[in-house]
Parts: sequence; structure tokens; C-alpha cells
Amino acid sequence: MTKRKSFVAALVLALLCFPPQWYPLPLRLQLTTWFGAADYRDLPASLPPGIDNAEEYCPPDPQGWRDPQTIEGVEIDASAACVADNPFAVATFVRGTNNVDSATLLKSGLTADAVEKGRDLDGDGDPDEIHIRLEVAELNGGSAVVSGPVTQYQIAPGIKPGMWVFAPKFVGMAVENFATNQARRSLRLPSPAIRVEQGDRVRITLENTHYMPHTLHLHGADHGFVDSSGEGNDGVPLTSETAVMPGDARSYELNPRQAGTMFYHCHVQPHVHVMMGLQGLFIIEENRPDNWLQTMNLGAGLVRVPSRRSQENFDREYDLHYLDLDKELSERIQRDNDPRLITRSMHREYDITDSQPDYFTLNGRSFPYTFRESLVVGEENERIKLRVVNGGGKGIALHTHGHKFTVTDRDGVRLPENSRTPQDVLWLATTQRADLALELVNDGLHAYGPGIWLFHDHQYKGITNDGIGPGGNIGAIVYSQYMSGTGWPETRGVSWDQYFTAAYYRKEIPVWEHYAPGLFSDTGTDWWMLLRILGLALALGILVAIPIGTVFRRR
Amino acid sequence: MTVCLVSLLPVMGYGQQTPDHSEHSGHQMSVDPAGVVMNENHDTLPRDCREISRDYSLIVHAGRKYAADVPGMIFGMDTYEIRVQPCARVEITFVNEDHVRHQWMVHGLPNYLYPAGMFHIEASGGNRVTGTFIVPGDDRTYLVHCDMAQHMEKGMRGQLVAGSGSGNLWAVAGISNAFYRNFYLPGYSSLLVTLVLIGAFLSAFWLVRRP
Repeated sequence: MTKRKSFVAALVLALLCFPPQWYPLPLRLQLTTWFGAADYRDLPASLPPGIDNAEEYCPPDPQGWRDPQTIEGVEIDASAACVADNPFAVATFVRGTNNVDSATLLKSGLTADAVEKGRDLDGDGDPDEIHIRLEVAELNGGSAVVSGPVTQYQIAPGIKPGMWVFAPKFVGMAVENFATNQARRSLRLPSPAIRVEQGDRVRITLENTHYMPHTLHLHGADHGFVDSSGEGNDGVPLTSETAVMPGDARSYELNPRQAGTMFYHCHVQPHVHVMMGLQGLFIIEENRPDNWLQTMNLGAGLVRVPSRRSQENFDREYDLHYLDLDKELSERIQRDNDPRLITRSMHREYDITDSQPDYFTLNGRSFPYTFRESLVVGEENERIKLRVVNGGGKGIALHTHGHKFTVTDRDGVRLPENSRTPQDVLWLATTQRADLALELVNDGLHAYGPGIWLFHDHQYKGITNDGIGPGGNIGAIVYSQYMSGTGWPETRGVSWDQYFTAAYYRKEIPVWEHYAPGLFSDTGTDWWMLLRILGLALALGILVAIPIGTVFRRR
Repeated sequence: MTVCLVSLLPVMGYGQQTPDHSEHSGHQMSVDPAGVVMNENHDTLPRDCREISRDYSLIVHAGRKYAADVPGMIFGMDTYEIRVQPCARVEITFVNEDHVRHQWMVHGLPNYLYPAGMFHIEASGGNRVTGTFIVPGDDRTYLVHCDMAQHMEKGMRGQLVAGSGSGNLWAVAGISNAFYRNFYLPGYSSLLVTLVLIGAFLSAFWLVRRP
């Protein structure tokens, strides 16, 4: 075939294959006036849903950790949500690791010196010398030997961002077992909420088990710039002391004169270290007689042994710790294993001024896992205290469905009664704390009656997991009549199967597949159109090659 | 500093389940303020051993200072490889020179003798803890490591070689390479590679077109 004939054939093929959607509009209109509309051709069928096997919504509780119980004389409240803290650890945090019997200590999993409680200095029936030890653990970190993250901790199905946490001292391995590489149950985000009493002599020893330098800074809590021996005590490596190097330990002291909801965090390269999770609630309870405090609340959430002051004024108390994570930062500990490379990557190559958070956690989990452990469960006419901190880099607009709460304290300082008004959106800046009183009184103002009422950040990215909703920090206020015996809210027949699959958050499952199967599904492929476009590509290739080949013909 | 307020918890021999760590059920633990020995075994022979072939008494030091001369490592040990005869009884004294906890754990031992196949020593900061176990009769290389989060990855990874062993494990400091090793290239590498690629193409093109 001559070049000219080939060129003409390719031109005809191109015209035939050219999709009508791309014709110029006047041409299409003219063709329509001549020939009418094109014949009907079926649109591709909906694809069948590709839902994985859903995880169990509510894992069983064979050891009865949710039940109310008394251990070492400590009355531990029931935990209505399905995943509860180890009650032996709760009791040991109340009595002190040095004051429980060896069997309880062993069941708590804690070391003998994790939380030691000494003398009652004011003679009011509770210990006032408190020595807390904290370690630093990396979750979902990298390895030179295995490809996936190690010491794994999922914030939501399939989501394992790298993170750092302050952790109590537990005996033994960091993982449940060597084969699964799952972090042991109590090693988790967020760093534990710490509770001490006003006037206590508190000593906190940071045992730096991590491979980078860290410190402890007591944000908002009354502490001296130097300790009783003249050593730096502010945890700020710019001004008060050098950082605690890996394998080293340093103690911080405080004797807080004011009660309130405060915060603690690492102050080494804080724009990186605090945002990796090295932060926790630090609560100073008002001094009361016989006030045995639960020194640590693992993973925040329900306080199973509330303080005397809380018992006087509230029926239940919950700690709510919000934190957002930037995967651009968190994945850096998974990319490299050499700490020199990780340090450069996190502290010099990562630029927080260009960052956007991707994951939004409430008490260390994102939806749907938030519903396993961070429900605010109560009964009608109860009064509930919520201590809230926003540890994330962006502000949150905390909104409660069905309720208006009252802010009683802000940044650990009590607000005057006449300045308190019920509200349903609270703006919390980064590291800001608020104590909320939530009254389950069905008066049309404080509450609208029993139900399952969501509470969440009303800045919309906060209710997604990397842009997929529902996700993020969605929790719920659930009235007890809406809770099943196993700890799962009765959501009136709505299936959550797809939310309990990693595929949904990998963006592989259409959002309404579970209640409208086929209607909004992924579409099949129009193979005829693909063939037509490939024909057009073939023809265009020939059309371009013939003249160019002619010009650059080899002689 | 870290041990000044430690209470004197008596040494105990427990086989109880630790609810917080459910997968550790059935481990034999002895706990004291200095640390923990889990699944200690002085006398019970592995099935493939008729007698103890030899007794070893070894000291392993651990701490950050032992990683000081190992580039890219933070925590270290003075001994990354221990060689013993099959059916040997091995007494390890683990000396922790840091101010934080460290562990010396062996994996892959027979489950019928060591729950989850583990023998485990944990020493709190500044303490030494001694434990004993008996290795089986086959030639095999066992993983030794610290199971604190990231301590194995950042240096505390070694091997116990029984007899002639079964080949080196990956990523043991001074003995074997990392399975996932970084490239450690200069920043201008991509430019250099691009220039070489273009140069090679042009040279080959010129050569091919020569009459």
C-alpha cells in the first residue's frame, strides 16, 4: 500500500473511531437535526460489591474486664463499651505497684516500680508521694528485616500510622506474641491520662526506651523551672536542660498547688515529637480526704475509679483526647531503619508548614474503632463530666448531637458560674483543654431524650479517615437502654460491615453499597468504547508517523 | 535513679496467666525488682538430647554504649553471637548498663519445653539477671533479641548458634547485612544516573548509525 493510501485509510479509521462525545457541539447538533438521536446502547452493568469479610464489631470479653469488680479493695466501675481496660492494672494504678500483692501486680502486667505510692503527708487517708515512671514506645515502626510495620497498632481497619507514645512500665514483650507482631493490648495511643492530687509530691521519671532524645514538659501544671536539687525541670531543651538520651532516665518533680485539666508532652522538636503522639492528659484533682486516684487511665476514656470530687458532682467521668496525624510524617519511621536517616527525614526533610492531617483520633482510635471503647454511656438524668483536650495540630469544632453541654473549666481554670451557657459546638485550639458538664436531662435544652447521639469534630475532615467517611473522631453519647449486653450500641438495624473492612478505607468499596446494593455501585467497563478509542489511537499514530517519516527518510 | 524507690517484691515462681498479655499464658516466670526470667529450665532435657553435652556460663552486657561504634545503631550488646554445642545447658547473665529496661530473648526453642518457644531474661536499668536454659540437639541458629519496641531494629538483635547452626540470620550487627538495607547514595545520584543513561544512549546510537 502506498503511503498516500495508508494515510487516507488511517484518516478514515480516525474519523470512524472518534467518539461522538468529543465532536464539536455545532456538529453534533447538526447531525441530530439530520439523523435524530443515536440508538440506545446499554450502559455497563453495576459491579458486584467487593466487601471483604467484616471484622467483629465488638470483640468478646472472656476475662470479664468490663464487669464492675473490687480488686485490692478498689471498687472499679463497670465499663459499658465492649473493650475495657485491664481491671488489675486499674486497681494497681489506684493502690500503687508497691502496695498490691504480687498476684495482682502480675495480672496488671506492670513492673514493680511503674507507679509507686508513698506516705500520706497531710493525714487525709490517701498517699501524697507519687512516683510515676514512663517509657517511650514506637508503634507501627520500621524494620530492617520485615516489610510491614512492627509492634502494630491499628487506629481503624487496616490503618497503621507510625506513632510514638509515652507508656507505663509493663513487664515483658512489646507485642502480644512474636508471630503476629501486634502491640500488646495496653501499649497504645494515646499516651495515658495521668491523675495526681493537688498538693501531691509527684516525681515522674522518664525512662527513655526510644532511639531518639525526648523530654517531659508539664504543660499548664504547676511545676518549678528547676527541681529540688537544682536540675532543669521544665523539659525544654532550649532553656532548662539537655534532652534525655536513649537508654537514659531523668526525673521531673512537681507539687501542684492548683487543680485542673492540664497536659504533658515531649518538648524535643515539638512540632514533630508532639504530633507523633508524645502527649497526654495531665489531670490534677482537687484535694479531698481518702482520695485514692487512678493514676493512669490507659487510652483515656471512662475513668473507672473517679476522684472524690468527681463522685460528689458527677455520675461518671470520661477523658477525651483528640489527636490528628499526618501520614506524611508518620510513614517516615516506616521507610527507613537507620536512626540517622529517620532523624534527617523527620526533622529536616518533613516540613510541617506544608502539612495536612490525614487521620483524626479520639482516644487513640478512629471510627469505627472509636465505638468499641470511647462511647460516653449514661442513664437519663445523669450528670457526666468530660475532660477534653485537643492534642492535634488543627482546631476542632466539637459538636454533640441531641445535647447542649456546659464548659465548666477552660485550660484547667474554673469559669465563673454566670459565664457558663449551654452550647453544642466548642472550638478547641491546639492543646486547649475544656471540662464539660453533660446533663442527660430531657428538657429540650440540655438533652432531647434517650438515643444514640453522635459527638464529633464538625470540621469535616475530622470525620474521615484520610478523606473517607465515616471515619475520624466520631464518637457517641449512648443511653444505656440503647446498649446491648456485649457493649455495642443497638443501631436500629444499620449494618456497619463495610466500615469494619480495611478495603472500605482503601477506597475500594462504594459508600452506600450496604443499603443500596447495585444502585450507586462501581460501574462495569464499556469495552466497545475502549476498542473504538484504541482504534483512534492507532490511526492517530499512523497519521503522525507517515509525514514525519517522510521528512526524516534515510537516504 | 531508676531503682532507688523499687519495692522489694519477693522472687516468685508463677505459671499464671497475665491477663494484660494473654499470649504469654503458661509461661513460667520468676520476677524480682532486678528483672524477670521466663521459662527457665535447668534440668529438663529436650527430646533429642540424652544428656547435657556441656555447661556454659556466659555474660552478656547491653546498653547504648555498646552500639557507639556500630553505625546506624542506638542500642547494643557486647556479644551478638553465642556459639554452643547442641544439648548444652546455657547460663546467661544479662547485664543491663542503661537506665531503662532491656531484654535478652531466644526464640524458636521447642514449644513442648518452652511455652511459645521462648526463653526470656529482662533486666531493669542498671541490673543484672541470670537465667538458664537447655538447647535442643539439632544444629540450628536461634534469634536472640530485645523485645522492647524498636530495640531489635535499632541494634539488639543477635543469634545463638547451636552446633554448626542453620545459617546466619539477617541484620545481626557485625555478622550479617540488613535484609532491607538503605542505599546511602549522595544527593546528586539521580542526576549522575540520568547523565550516564543519556551518554550511553547517545554513544550507542552514534555507533549503530555509523556506516
